Amino acid sequence: MGVMRDRAVHLLSRLSFGPSEAEVERVLAEGEDNWVEEQLAPGEESDPRMKEALTNFQTLDMSTPRLYTWITEDFEGRRGNELSAEERQAEREKRRIPKGELTRATFLRSLFSSRQVEAVLADFWRNHFNVSFTKGGPADFLITDYDREVVRRHALGNFPEMLMASAKHPAMLHYLDNHLSRKPPSKQELAEIERRERRRTDSREAGEQAAEIAAQRGLNENYARELLELHTLGVDNIYKQKDVIAVAEALTGWTYDGRREGSWGFRFRSEMHVTGDKRVLGRKIREDRDKGGVGEGEAIVEMLADHRGTAEFIAMKLVRLLVADQPPSSLVKEVASVYRKTDGLIPDMVRTIVKSEEFWSPGVVRTKFRTPLEFLCAALRATDAEVQEVNRCLTALRDMGQPILHCDDPTGYYDVAEAWLDPGVMATRWGFALDLATGKVKGVEIPVEFFDDLPQGIPRLWQHHLTNRLLPGGAGQRTRNALSTVTDEYLKKTRVPDSRELGPQLVGLLLGSPEFQQQ
Amino acid sequence: MTISNRRDFLKSATAAGLIATVNPFERALFAMGRRPKGPRSIVCIYLRGGADWLNMIVPRDDDEYLAVRPTLAMNDEDGLVQLNRDWGLHPAFQSLEPFWKEKQLAPIVAVGSPHTTRSHFDAQDFMEFAAPGNRTVRSGWLNRYLQESQVKDASEFRGMAMQELLPRSLRGEFPVLAVPSGMDRNKGAKTLNRFEEFYGDGPVAGKMPGQMSGEMERPEDGAGIVESGRVTIETLRRYQEILAKGKTDVKYPDGRFSQRLAAMAKVLKAGEGLEVAGLDYGGWDDHANQGGAEGRHATRLKDLSDSLAAFCFDLGSKLDTTTIIVMTEFGRTVRENGNRGTDHGHGGGMFVLGGGVKGGKVYGDWQGLKAAQLYQGRDLQVTTDFRDVFHTVLDGTFDFKAPKGFFPDYKPKKISGMY
Repeated sequence: MGVMRDRAVHLLSRLSFGPSEAEVERVLAEGEDNWVEEQLAPGEESDPRMKEALTNFQTLDMSTPRLYTWITEDFEGRRGNELSAEERQAEREKRRIPKGELTRATFLRSLFSSRQVEAVLADFWRNHFNVSFTKGGPADFLITDYDREVVRRHALGNFPEMLMASAKHPAMLHYLDNHLSRKPPSKQELAEIERRERRRTDSREAGEQAAEIAAQRGLNENYARELLELHTLGVDNIYKQKDVIAVAEALTGWTYDGRREGSWGFRFRSEMHVTGDKRVLGRKIREDRDKGGVGEGEAIVEMLADHRGTAEFIAMKLVRLLVADQPPSSLVKEVASVYRKTDGLIPDMVRTIVKSEEFWSPGVVRTKFRTPLEFLCAALRATDAEVQEVNRCLTALRDMGQPILHCDDPTGYYDVAEAWLDPGVMATRWGFALDLATGKVKGVEIPVEFFDDLPQGIPRLWQHHLTNRLLPGGAGQRTRNALSTVTDEYLKKTRVPDSRELGPQLVGLLLGSPEFQQQ
Repeated sequence: MTISNRRDFLKSATAAGLIATVNPFERALFAMGRRPKGPRSIVCIYLRGGADWLNMIVPRDDDEYLAVRPTLAMNDEDGLVQLNRDWGLHPAFQSLEPFWKEKQLAPIVAVGSPHTTRSHFDAQDFMEFAAPGNRTVRSGWLNRYLQESQVKDASEFRGMAMQELLPRSLRGEFPVLAVPSGMDRNKGAKTLNRFEEFYGDGPVAGKMPGQMSGEMERPEDGAGIVESGRVTIETLRRYQEILAKGKTDVKYPDGRFSQRLAAMAKVLKAGEGLEVAGLDYGGWDDHANQGGAEGRHATRLKDLSDSLAAFCFDLGSKLDTTTIIVMTEFGRTVRENGNRGTDHGHGGGMFVLGGGVKGGKVYGDWQGLKAAQLYQGRDLQVTTDFRDVFHTVLDGTFDFKAPKGFFPDYKPKKISGMY
């Protein structure tokens, strides 16, 4: 193992979904720096393998109005109660298609895209700005556009633009309930509601109750809090509860056009907006009279993007992703200063990390635990697996607790080890590793060459070759012993050793070994 | 309990087709009436999707109920299991009737969350973390119990989910085993055997190869992984032994939910120190074509009921030390919608079953179904905070007095007379 090869493996362990033989060769041929630069600015370069994998997908490129029309056009504008039971069933099934396609495409991109750095960062931002299909309702058809126009478009762009794009996207406003957030009704409005209810129900009590309900329906702090806590400053960093409320007030009226209007785009509704000056993080946000109030929220999002706390938080998370669960503070500082100098240019921050001493420190090499998604992709990439169908992989991800685009929590999935080490879950990895190696994962196959290329006639060397291939950093003593045991047992009972028999056994064990769980 | 009582009980249970052998069942009966000794457990069954409790614990002869649910409502003629003058259970709950008669089943009406969310995931979070509206709490109430009551050298089986992933109520710092699918089969055992040599006897002082710097030793590397792997193998193997050795004394219905309950019963009966166990039952979001006495909802209820009844009979005397709670994230709208279903509502219901609970009585403060009595004019009022139930059950089961802050922003209140 040459030093250059070790370096390429480490680079690909962090900046791709796992080293494959071909990609290692590519890095060695192009040189680290060239590979990194090309990945950071992939341009419009075509990605034939991806293109082929996504040939039969219909909905990925659709705008939301187009997608909504596509789902509903069979029913000529009738919806809900106007549909027969069969039609409702048909509609439900059609609504599932964009979800399924985006989920599969997201997995396939992680797995096969030649733009691996983009895929890694897209996954990172997808979790940072998490939305989820589990929210239901319009999430079914809003996330297709969100993932394309917010997450992937800006994955290698700049952070402030991505932040603003997420803040104005219907998928985010819906996911974190901001579309419901409004100024509490005034006394007159309350009186009006009360009158109406009393007329309707002819009951004084009901009228009063209706008023009480209306009074409750007001500010929803959900998005405002996550904007501060998860998207920009970090938990309990700098902001206080009164800032959350002020931000929530400024963002009242940030909602989206729905079915009636048809555009499914961002819409500011001034009638829901809390007027007046706001005070956020000690700064006065002047009432926006020109545009009816939307400018206050915009000013706050820009102020947050510009905040030193945001630079530090984003830097910390990027370093944690690419270097270590305990991010070295020296590097975090450096990356934060790059953020501030470049107004949040993501490629510049990534480049700073990759060129840092900390990134290459022996103390961090192969110490990051692979999340289920990283494990699955790494296993398939390392074995050159041919993939016809991904459903079984997606089920495995669900069983390991990381179903794609289905993370309930606004935190997104964690990229640190402790989140994934519950007892029991490991057995699911082992089961998948053995199934993959022995051809029992439906639609996925390790090509026979993978085993045929082993030095025929020298079965004692197979273990060594496969270890080099799957654990390029080497195997520990215990793993080596365990593999030898399997080889010995096999050779004892076999007269003519066949690499297509022993090979898969060894591969299954290597993929399930402690070493392979790390990158 | 008189003999004739017991005979009735047996008769109705046999009629429900649940008892394969009478013995374990008789044991359960003899054990009743005093607080039995021995390790105690809570089994938490979560109905995901917001189950329609109003059609599970049904107000009898309630004109409002019949009026607002033209296609869903049921009355005595539909075969409601009659509990008392005011209440009946859905006809599909027939197999649970014996437990009501033996005062082991305590239905609770109008119970739910003080938080008004109608979002599935918020409501489930808030409930399973037992912290309505508080997004900073990220550990489950049952996990917090395990943390608070830790002792040295405790069983590795204190907490367990009979499914691939932990329900939120069991997530948290205390390690809880999630049983991967297929572990009850031969293949599962083989998988564990294959990896034993890799993980089997724990970390070797964290020896993982350090590349680029030679065989550098870094104790922190991989130790957590190897340890997690070791615990996985040890506990799952023990689990498999229990399954292989354990006997199932009754016939469970077919289906995933009941098969998992059967496995859980074996673990409970094995006396391995299982204190809290969780199991989800999905699919309760009946927005359309819910059905009344028959139909989709009823089919699910029958499976739930027959599975639970089989589980209880299977537990035998162990039922007296095992509290089963059946819950969901919110109730549904009182009025049925235009699709013969119901939408997300507020107040719901719960069952507490076994474990010495004083059943045979419907708990909860019922305000009625008149529009003016409803929450926001459409849903059941919540008159019992679900945390009252959790608090009462933790104390009633484990004599566990929740320390301050265990339930954040909550003033502990017991449900009187429940234990």
